Amino acid sequence: MVPETAVLNDVFIGKLRGIVKNRLSTARSVREQHGHDESYHASHLPDAVVFPTDTEEVIDIVKVCAEHGVPVIPFGTGTSLEGHVAALRGGVCINLMEMNKILEVNAEDMDVRVQPGVKRKQLNEYLRDKGLFFPIDPGADASLGGMAATRASGTNAVLYGTMRENVLAMEVVLADGRLIKTARRARKSAAGYDLTRLFVGSEGTLGVITEITLKLYGIPEAISAAVASFPDLKSAVNTVIETIHSGIPLARIELLDEVQMEAINKYSGYDYPVKPTLFFEFHGSVNGVKDQSIAAQSIASELGAADFQWATRAEDRARLWQARHDAYYAALALRPGAKGMATDVCVPLSRLTECILETKKDIEKSDVLAPIVGHVGDGNFHLVLVMNPDDPEELEQAKELNRRMIGRALSMEGTCTGEHGEALSVMIALKTTLDPGDIMNPGEIVDLQNQ
Amino acid sequence: MEMPKPDQTIIDRRSQIINDLHSIVPGEGLIADEGELKAFECDGLMAYRQLPLVVVLPETTKQVSQIMAYCYKNDVKIVPRGAGTGLSGGALPLEDAITLGLSKFNKILEIDYDNRCVTTQPGVTNLAITQCVEDRGFYYAPDPSSQIACSIGGNVAENSGGVHCLKYGLTTNNLLGIEMVMMNGEVIRIGGKHLDPSSYDLLGVVTGSEGLLGIITEVTVRILRKPEIAKALLLGFESCESAGDCVAAIIGAGIIPGGMEMMDTFAIQAAEDFVNAGYPRNVAALLIVELDGPAPEVEHLISKVERIATNNNATYIKVSEDEEERLKFWSGRKAAFPAVGRLSPDYLCMDGTIPRGQLAYVLRQMSILSQKYGLRVANVFHAGDGNLHPLILFDANNEGEMEAAEALGADILRLCVQVGGVLTGEHGVGVEKRDLMGEMFTEEDLKQQQRLKCAFDPGHLLNPGKVYPTLHRCAELGKMHVHKGSLPFPDIPRF
Repeated sequence: MVPETAVLNDVFIGKLRGIVKNRLSTARSVREQHGHDESYHASHLPDAVVFPTDTEEVIDIVKVCAEHGVPVIPFGTGTSLEGHVAALRGGVCINLMEMNKILEVNAEDMDVRVQPGVKRKQLNEYLRDKGLFFPIDPGADASLGGMAATRASGTNAVLYGTMRENVLAMEVVLADGRLIKTARRARKSAAGYDLTRLFVGSEGTLGVITEITLKLYGIPEAISAAVASFPDLKSAVNTVIETIHSGIPLARIELLDEVQMEAINKYSGYDYPVKPTLFFEFHGSVNGVKDQSIAAQSIASELGAADFQWATRAEDRARLWQARHDAYYAALALRPGAKGMATDVCVPLSRLTECILETKKDIEKSDVLAPIVGHVGDGNFHLVLVMNPDDPEELEQAKELNRRMIGRALSMEGTCTGEHGEALSVMIALKTTLDPGDIMNPGEIVDLQNQ
Repeated sequence: MEMPKPDQTIIDRRSQIINDLHSIVPGEGLIADEGELKAFECDGLMAYRQLPLVVVLPETTKQVSQIMAYCYKNDVKIVPRGAGTGLSGGALPLEDAITLGLSKFNKILEIDYDNRCVTTQPGVTNLAITQCVEDRGFYYAPDPSSQIACSIGGNVAENSGGVHCLKYGLTTNNLLGIEMVMMNGEVIRIGGKHLDPSSYDLLGVVTGSEGLLGIITEVTVRILRKPEIAKALLLGFESCESAGDCVAAIIGAGIIPGGMEMMDTFAIQAAEDFVNAGYPRNVAALLIVELDGPAPEVEHLISKVERIATNNNATYIKVSEDEEERLKFWSGRKAAFPAVGRLSPDYLCMDGTIPRGQLAYVLRQMSILSQKYGLRVANVFHAGDGNLHPLILFDANNEGEMEAAEALGADILRLCVQVGGVLTGEHGVGVEKRDLMGEMFTEEDLKQQQRLKCAFDPGHLLNPGKVYPTLHRCAELGKMHVHKGSLPFPDIPRF
C-alpha cells in the first residue's frame, strides 16, 4: 500500500466541484474502491473520484487537471486483471459509469453508438429483439469503454476478433481537453492515420474515451456448444490445433485444465469430469452447425476425448459459458482470501502444445496453485496464479513462474502482455507527443518517468 | 493542387546527394538520368506528374536504414514507392525529394503453413503471395483489382481492400507483423506470427499511413485455407433502390457473403460489351453475390439469398453452375474499369464509403449531380461495405472538362461525408483527396493526426505534402519536450 498522498489542494477541488457538483468524492472508502481492479496488483489510490454525466464535463475535468499537471485515470467497472486503473501517481479518477446511455442503433448498417459506461450485457439485452448482438465477451460484465481501452478479447475472438476489429470509431477527450473523433461510421476507411486503432488498447494513457461506435452482428440462425474432456492436456491442445487446421469455422474454443475444472465444479456446483477439457461453440445455419459439430467431435474422439456433452438450448449454453466466464473467480475461491495474478501469453499455434505442456510441468514443480485457461484458438492462454501477495516468498515464487512462462513464450516467437520489444522507442515518442504533460494514466504502458 | 514549395538548397546539392547515395547503393540501384527518371514521374493517378530529385532502389534493410539516416541528418525528403499502382498519388515524386523504390525487395522469405502465415519482402505482388501457397490450398484474402501488379508493401501503406474484404477484412485485418525503418534509420519490428500484444497498436497505426511514418521492409501476412466451395449469384433489379434494399436485407439476415458487388446499367453495358460476362442487359442494377464455405452451408445460403432477392423484386436471378461460370461472373466486374475506360478518353475513379443504409439516397443524389455537371457517371462498387467507386467520364481535350470532372468528384465525396461516410474506403488520400480532408475531419481531428506524425518523423521528411492539407510544424502542434520525466509547471501546487 502506498502512503497517503499529500494534502488536497482546495483551489483545485473547488474547480472540480464547480464542474461535477456533488458527484465528487475524496472519501477514503470511495478512493479505495477506485484504486485497484480484480488482480493482485497493489492498490494505488487516486486523490479524488469524479462521476461525470456527459462529455462536456469530462472535457472540463481534463482541462483543469491539465492546467494543474494532475494525473487523470479513467475508470470503468474496475474488472481489469492487469492493474490498469491503479493511480500510480495519485490524481483524479474519472468514473465513467454514469455515462451509460445507448445513443444510436443503426440496425440496417449494423452499428451502435454508446457511451463508455454501457456494459456488454446491458447492450446485448437492449439489442436482442432487433436480432443483433455484440460478440466480444471478456469474463466480467465489463464496460464497453474499458473494453475498448484495454483491447479486450473474449472466448469467441476466433470468429469475431477482438475489440480491435469491432470498434468503428471513438470520441476521445485528449490530454489537454480537446475533443476529437477518430473516424466515422463507414465500415472501411483509408483516410488519414488510423487513430481508432491507436486509442483501442491505449489503456487510458492517451485520452478519455467518451463515445464508442461498435460493429454489430446478426444473431446466427443456429448455435451449438459442446464440452469434451480428455485424458491429458496434450490431446486437448492437439485437438484445438487439428480442428483449426482442418478449417472448421469455430466460434469459440476454450481450454481449461483439470485444476480449473475442479475449481469450476466447486464454485458453481457442477459435476464435470476433473480432466483437461475443451469448450466448443459453432455458429451458422442449422445444417452447417451440424456438420461442423460432427467434424470437430470426430477429431476430438480420434485424439482420445472421452465424453462429449452437447448444449443446443440457449439456457444450457449460457450455463456452460457462465462457468467459463467465472473461471477467474472460481480459481480464487480455491483458496479463500487469496489474490490472483493473471498471466497472459500468446505463441504461434505450432508451438502451443509445447508451450502449455512445459508450463504445466513448471507449475507442478512449484508450490503455486495455478490453473490454466485459454482461448487457445489464437494461441493465447492464461494462468491464474492464486497466492497471497502479502507473503513476499509466495509472491516472488509466483513472479518467477510468470517470468519463466514469458521467457518460454518469447523464445517460441510468442508475446506477452506488456511486452513492447523493439518498438519501445516509438511508443515513448508517441506518448510524449500526444500527452506531453504525462497526465493520462501515467506509468501505464510506457513509464515516461522511468525512461 | 499545390505541393510544398521545393527547397532550392536541396536541389542545388543534387550532385553531392547523388554521390553520397551512390556510396550506400552502388551500381544500378541509383537512377539519376532524366530519361530514366521519367518512369517514376507519377503513380496510378496520372493527372499529376513530377520528376523526382533522384531515385534510389535499395536491396537490403541495411541500405534502407543507411539512406534514411543519411536523409535524416541532411534534411533530405523521401517519397516511398511500391509498385506505383496507387490511385491517389501517394507516390507522386517531389522535385526536392528522393524517391525510394522498393521494387528490388521482391523475395518471399518464409512460408509457414503451421502458423498460417507468409513473410515476404514488401515489393512482392499481392497475387504472388496467393500463388506461392495455392498448391497447398491456401490464399491471401485481400484482393485489390490490381493484385497482379500492386505490391504487398503498398497494400500495407494504403490499407488496401478488394472484393472479398467484406468477409475477410482489409489489409489491416490480415497483417500480422512488419519490419520498418524509421526516419532516423532505426529498424523496428512490430508484431510477428502471433496475435498482437497489448500496448499501442503500432501495426494498426502504420497500416494505411501512406508512407508518412516509415519505410516497410518486411511484411508477415495471414493466409487462409481456401473455402471448400464458392458460388456466385447474379441478381438483376429494375431500380438501384431495390438492389440497395436487397443488400441491406442480405446483411440484415446475418449472411456475410464472401463478396457483394453492385453495378449500374452503364457499367453493366460497358462490361458486357468488353468481356461478355453473361450479364443481363435489361436491368438497372446488378448484384454479384458470392457465398463461400462448406458445400451444404453454401447451398443453404444460396437458397436463402434467392428468397431475399425475390422478396426485394429481383427480376433476374442466376446461380453459377460451375467454377468457370463463377469466374466469368467476376470477369465483368474486375474488368469494369478498363471497360468503362473504352467509352471515354478519360475517367476519374472515386472511392467514397458510406453507411450501407444510405446507398439508395446517395445513388439518387449522384445522378442529379451527374446531370448538373453534364458528365456521365458509371457506378461499380463494393455494396456490402458501402464502398462506392463512381467513375466520372470526361475528355481532357475539351476545355474545362477535367476541372468539371474534379469538381463533380469533390461533390460526390462531400455527399458521402454528409451521410456519415468517408472520402476514401481503400485507395488512400494521397494528393488526390488531400484538400478534402477538412470536409471529413475537424481542424482538431487533423491536428491530432499530425501530432502522431511528429512521434515518427518530427522533421516532416517522409512523403510531405500528402494526406494532410496544411503542414504544421511539430512545435506549432504543441509538442513539448519532457526531459527525464520532469513535468511542466513543476511548482504548481498538487495534492
